[in-house]
Amino acid sequence: MQNLKETAHEVIMAVLPIAGVVFLMQVTIIWLPWTSFFQFVIGLLMVSTGLVLFLLGVHVGLLPIGEMIGAALPRTGKLWLIVLFSFILGFAATVAEPDVRVLATQVDTVSGGEISRNLLIYSVALGLAFFVGLAMIKIVFNIPIIYILTAGYILAFGMAWFAPADFIPISFDAGGVTTGPMAVPFILALGVGVASVMSGKSASSDGFGLVALASIGPILAVLILGMFFS
Amino acid sequence: MSDIIIIEGIGHVMMEVAAALLPLMLFFLFFQVFYLKLPRKKFIDILKGVVLTFAGLTLFLQGVHVGFLPVGKEMGLIMAELPYRWIIIPIGFILGFVATFAEPAVRILNHEVDKVTSGYIPQRVMLYTLSVGVGISIALSMAKILFGIPLMHLLIPGYFIVLLMAWFTSETFTSIAFDSGGVATGPMTVTFISAMSVGVATGTEGSNPILDGFGMIALVALAPILCVLLLGMIYKLKETQSEKQNA
Repeated sequence: MQNLKETAHEVIMAVLPIAGVVFLMQVTIIWLPWTSFFQFVIGLLMVSTGLVLFLLGVHVGLLPIGEMIGAALPRTGKLWLIVLFSFILGFAATVAEPDVRVLATQVDTVSGGEISRNLLIYSVALGLAFFVGLAMIKIVFNIPIIYILTAGYILAFGMAWFAPADFIPISFDAGGVTTGPMAVPFILALGVGVASVMSGKSASSDGFGLVALASIGPILAVLILGMFFS
Repeated sequence: MSDIIIIEGIGHVMMEVAAALLPLMLFFLFFQVFYLKLPRKKFIDILKGVVLTFAGLTLFLQGVHVGFLPVGKEMGLIMAELPYRWIIIPIGFILGFVATFAEPAVRILNHEVDKVTSGYIPQRVMLYTLSVGVGISIALSMAKILFGIPLMHLLIPGYFIVLLMAWFTSETFTSIAFDSGGVATGPMTVTFISAMSVGVATGTEGSNPILDGFGMIALVALAPILCVLLLGMIYKLKETQSEKQNA
């Protein structure tokens, strides 16, 4: 019950301020027909309720899965197995990530179906999965994060030079949406488990840079997708 | 849009969510059978969580489909046609500021930074800096649409500064900074504000919605990284200064 209250509070804090500003805009400059505005309010109620249920579900159902698998993986003692399963888990978590879905839906609509929703979601998920696997290698071998970040972003900007212009904003947006309410806790749970067993580090979730790495993969993946399109 | 839509098309959304959760479930079942072997009760608890997630995700996406995406776009279209449409830029700032100021994930980040810098960066300073930072990001992305500025002209200098600063800070601080990129891209930003900017791009003459309407999330993700690193540098300077004074 405490959990429900906390989650509800969290969601309201994240949603209400913007809704307030939107209401002010409506009655000062926008003046949408009130049926349209009412449609916004209905959407708001559904999104908020949905988000509360979703976060609760992630908390009781999906996060424990991530944590248990994160702890079970290193016990296999094989690096290639850890990387492989991190890859699959990263992929599966991104496919279920709400923010990724919303972005992909918008891209699908705006491009008139040319860049289809599922194609984009799976590309983003592959990109993230690849970098989560890489992140595990980073943890095990203690590679400084700045090396991977610098190389990753130089590669991203270099590829953006050759990718079709339409794909550039989408690719960098894709890097931002993967850090949503589903993928982040999952990746962190995995990282905590792997780090505590493999490199003997203390099991704290900060200082990993896992999420940072998770944003580069999708950028690269969408840019590659763009190159296929041209 | 004359009739209110609530559940129209929800069947599709349910199918979509089922397909979205399927890979995770298969993976879990595989682990359950071969590695985890959880007791029955624990297994059922997890299934309950999965059902909740399914219901929540369905409701969330349905709300986004029937409410946020169409209405956000409509609002963007109207604003793009206002005689004083420059107002979109300050509105973008306000939306970004307000969203970040209240976002729970931001408070967790502030607490973390406070801890790592042993209180040198007070949480309140951090909160204001971040909120202003995200505000500027959204204002910039609206300006980008109105004036047709290519996204790369903003992202390349942004990431150049961020990476340069990161070379001079510690591993932990760099990780925290880059991990924080996601804190400001909350559910409202990604759904509603993003739909609005697509609307503005659609309504702006000579603008290409796919090229100009996207990119806002990328700029919003950059703001916290920049803010954390910047404050980190100020904190480091202050620290070395006080060390000199003590010596």
